[in-house]
Amino acid sequence: MPYYQTWEEFARAAEKLYLTDPMKVRVVLKYRHCDGNLCIKVTDDAVCLQYKTDQAQDVKKIEKLHGKLMRLMVSKESGAMEMD
Amino acid sequence: MVLLENDSFLTELTRLFQKCRTSGSVAITLKKYDGRTKPVPRKGHPESYEPADNKCLLRASDGKKKISTVVSTKEVIKFQMAYSNLLRAHMDGLKKKDKKSKSKKTKATQ
Repeated sequence: MPYYQTWEEFARAAEKLYLTDPMKVRVVLKYRHCDGNLCIKVTDDAVCLQYKTDQAQDVKKIEKLHGKLMRLMVSKESGAMEMD
Repeated sequence: MVLLENDSFLTELTRLFQKCRTSGSVAITLKKYDGRTKPVPRKGHPESYEPADNKCLLRASDGKKKISTVVSTKEVIKFQMAYSNLLRAHMDGLKKKDKKSKSKKTKATQ
């Protein structure tokens, strides 16, 4: 299961994966305060994308991506398809 | 698995973070939810649910205690604001990138 080295690549791949099948994709966030690290995983049970960090500056990025995906999930499918 | 209201979920999530400060991890899962409450019916059986397109399911766990909540379009704005604040407030145990102090340290050791 590869861990992405750069945040940009991970974020792009994660959004792309979500748009291919919104119902299948899930986002998992695992935070360990005692170890001081945060790991985010986006998967559709076939493809698995992971990013790990121990940097405080990444918390904001991860939280923004999480919020973005949350908003995509509750909005009607208007990104990929056009409403008639 | 305890299904909570958005506000209760945020309160319980805060408690999970506080409990895990000394050991353990907090796992949060986010997934799109179509509102079904019954398992997927077998072939030949009619689908008995109405697909809803505007909800998502949030789960959180510390390994022992599990909580969950459903967020829909109407609640997402308010919930997301509170949720982001919560995450940023609690995920503060990570390293802060401080270039100045790093270079000073290496100079001192040399």
